[in-house]
Amino acid sequence: MTNSLYLPVIVLLCAAIAFALFTLLLAKVWAKLYSPHKSGSIKNSIYECGLESVGDAWIQFKPGYYLYAIIFLVFDVEAVFLLPFAVAFTGFSAAESVAMLIFLLLLVEGLVWAYQKNVLVWS
Amino acid sequence: MVDEELKNEMSKQGIVTTTLQELYNWGRRSSLWPLNFGLACCAIEMIATTMARYDMARFGAEVFRPSPRQADLMIVAGTVTKKMAPQVVRLYNQMPEPKYVIAMGACAISGGPFKQGYNVLKGIDRYFPVDIYIPGCPPRPEALLDAFMSLQKMIDAQQLTGPNRPRHLNADAKSEFIVPKFGEHDLEPAQNSTVWKAPLVQISGTETDKSAK
Amino acid sequence: MNLENIKSEIEANVPGCQLEFVLNPSPSAQHSLRLDHAHAVAVATYLRDAADLRFDFCSNVTGIDWPAKELTEKVKVKKLVDGEEKEVEEVRKTTIPGTLEVVYHLFSVEKKHGPITLRMSTKDRETEVHMPSLTPVWRSAEFQEREIFDLFGVVFDGHPDLRRLLMWPDFIDHPMRRDYVAPDDFEYEPTAHDAVLQRANQHQSEAIAKLASEAEGK
Repeated sequence: MTNSLYLPVIVLLCAAIAFALFTLLLAKVWAKLYSPHKSGSIKNSIYECGLESVGDAWIQFKPGYYLYAIIFLVFDVEAVFLLPFAVAFTGFSAAESVAMLIFLLLLVEGLVWAYQKNVLVWS
Repeated sequence: MVDEELKNEMSKQGIVTTTLQELYNWGRRSSLWPLNFGLACCAIEMIATTMARYDMARFGAEVFRPSPRQADLMIVAGTVTKKMAPQVVRLYNQMPEPKYVIAMGACAISGGPFKQGYNVLKGIDRYFPVDIYIPGCPPRPEALLDAFMSLQKMIDAQQLTGPNRPRHLNADAKSEFIVPKFGEHDLEPAQNSTVWKAPLVQISGTETDKSAK
Repeated sequence: MNLENIKSEIEANVPGCQLEFVLNPSPSAQHSLRLDHAHAVAVATYLRDAADLRFDFCSNVTGIDWPAKELTEKVKVKKLVDGEEKEVEEVRKTTIPGTLEVVYHLFSVEKKHGPITLRMSTKDRETEVHMPSLTPVWRSAEFQEREIFDLFGVVFDGHPDLRRLLMWPDFIDHPMRRDYVAPDDFEYEPTAHDAVLQRANQHQSEAIAKLASEAEGK
């Protein structure tokens, strides 16, 4: 008699789906009866905060952009991991501190690389 | 159709009667979603209205939408410069029907203190219809709430059918308005004459007034 | 800071520059220096870099429109009238051509002194509206010079990005000039006064006349 155990669930599921479909259908019928469809060239144009869109949306980004993204990640990850590290700092053993230092070293390495590539120079 | 007296009597007894029109208007007015944009200092008051102290959420308008596609109320909060006017009109055009406009503050109504300036539009109602005007410089949040409740009363009184039905239920009424272009001296056109007609008012302090005194 | 001392110091260090000391007779006594176009950038650079001046901060750039002025003065002239030499009063009219003037206010953050005021004028307010830009010397002048270009129509040579700032690019007038005519949109002026009242009245009588002619036409 396992089937009967699931019967209420199935009934509820059907009711839920029917309710969703019914309200959608109601909205459709309502729109048909009362709300006239009004589209226009401006209304259907691309939303650009009120400005007319210029050019194509499919443009290529320079690879330099991804460099910025990576550098951002370096700082971001550093901040995310440093905060719990700082909170639990007093309870750390030597081994854990060394592990954290190695992690920081890896991040600093990325920073040094970026520095050498002159990414951080802002003109 | 149940008449008003019977309806009141029944509601006292715990029986609620309603019509499709009432239900529809109740739904519309209780979920007005404003468009999330401010133009000048009035926007600060608008932001204050949405925050906990004044709490616009009580009226179902806490959801400020960042896209005109999902908004049905435009609060023109602040000075509309001529350089900004085409963008505002285009945003209004991009909103789906039904859409309502509150002109908030002296600038949005008429240009306000900058009326004679070279780059300020003399009222946003020159380009699209405005439902509620709030005077003030800037209006307090209470004034915006009052305007909001006035708009809700207006929506409550709307009819689903008949010649007086609102624009969004009328297939013949246009929902897009002319977006002005940047001309050499002024916006072109300087006003949408189908929307705005210059009222012929008695100008205070005219020559005839002076001679009468 | 004595402006006359600064003037003589600049003249000693920037060879060939022509500075004009403009006296301000009002109690504020904020005198100013008028620079010539050819040496303006050199003088500005000197003001910024000289060890005892160090005017490193340009706080404000303003434009002024001086329309052409007509001066009438009575002059006594000796003339031969009826074979006799007499002193006759004659009215002479002279026109001073209009100019566009730009005023710079300088402070020194390092030396904590200032302000001093620099002026520059264009040759004419209609035709010769060019002027050297001081943006290469003080970066803070960039937007203000753009604004002056926009509102007064002064063309700053050497400006890195001279575009209109407040008005749109297709706009051709310069609204802060004295002869600027605002577009005629005085249809609705409920609390008008002075010049606006005049224009509103004029606009309204035109509108009424138009309505009357339309009614006649029907």
